Amino acid sequence: MSVAANTLSQYRDQLRSNRLGLWLFFISEAFLFGGLLVARFYLWGGTRPDLDQVTGLIITSILLLSSFFMYTAEVAAEHENRKTFLFSLIMTALLGTAFLVGVVVFEWGGHIKPWDGAFGAVLYGMTGMHALHVASGIVFILIVWYNGLKGHYTAERHWGVEACAIYWHYVDVIWVFFYPAIYLIGTVPT
Amino acid sequence: MNDKKRAAYRTGIIVFLILAALTAGEFYLASISGAAAGLFIIALIKAALIIRYFMHVNRLWAEEGHE
Repeated sequence: MSVAANTLSQYRDQLRSNRLGLWLFFISEAFLFGGLLVARFYLWGGTRPDLDQVTGLIITSILLLSSFFMYTAEVAAEHENRKTFLFSLIMTALLGTAFLVGVVVFEWGGHIKPWDGAFGAVLYGMTGMHALHVASGIVFILIVWYNGLKGHYTAERHWGVEACAIYWHYVDVIWVFFYPAIYLIGTVPT
Repeated sequence: MNDKKRAAYRTGIIVFLILAALTAGEFYLASISGAAAGLFIIALIKAALIIRYFMHVNRLWAEEGHE
């Protein structure tokens, strides 16, 4: 076996451990977000705060679209399509930022404040913890984009891109459950 | 290689369109009833699609490196 083939073989072995480690991290994170979901259903029950439904739908759609661009970036990296890879990553970061702006400006800037009882505490706890993960995901994307710009990834070696993509999609999966729990389930108390 | 790339992009577009339709569906369902069970089932389907197709959970037990 040549040195290059041997190194690639080692890389693939390492890749399996990396993937397993990342998924174990996601399982531990699921307990954190699961706890917030349980708090929502325990404290809010069949009610929900009076939030703008259209804003909720728009920011959810933005995050969904960002996931599509992240998927495109990963496929582009797998096929060494550098231009599409870099463009899709930047689009993902921009859409992630738009999502953050939507949450911080339109939801946190509304009439509900963190000190407004169970509604405020749970709403800010859920959206705040999720927004923190979105923000760290954006930083992660920008690091991968910079590395991609310097040509650090190839079709065979792009674990950084894969990890970043999986992390971003995980953040999207969390919002898939948070969106109906915050905006759709229950009735607004009169 | 090109066929594989095209198929991968097509999968991404199809999954995205299904996710968008399901999101619109849950918004509509909430506007007419707000039934938690139905909304939770839709959320589970969306999460399963993302985990399977976008997060490539099957790579955990794959033999090779990157697909």
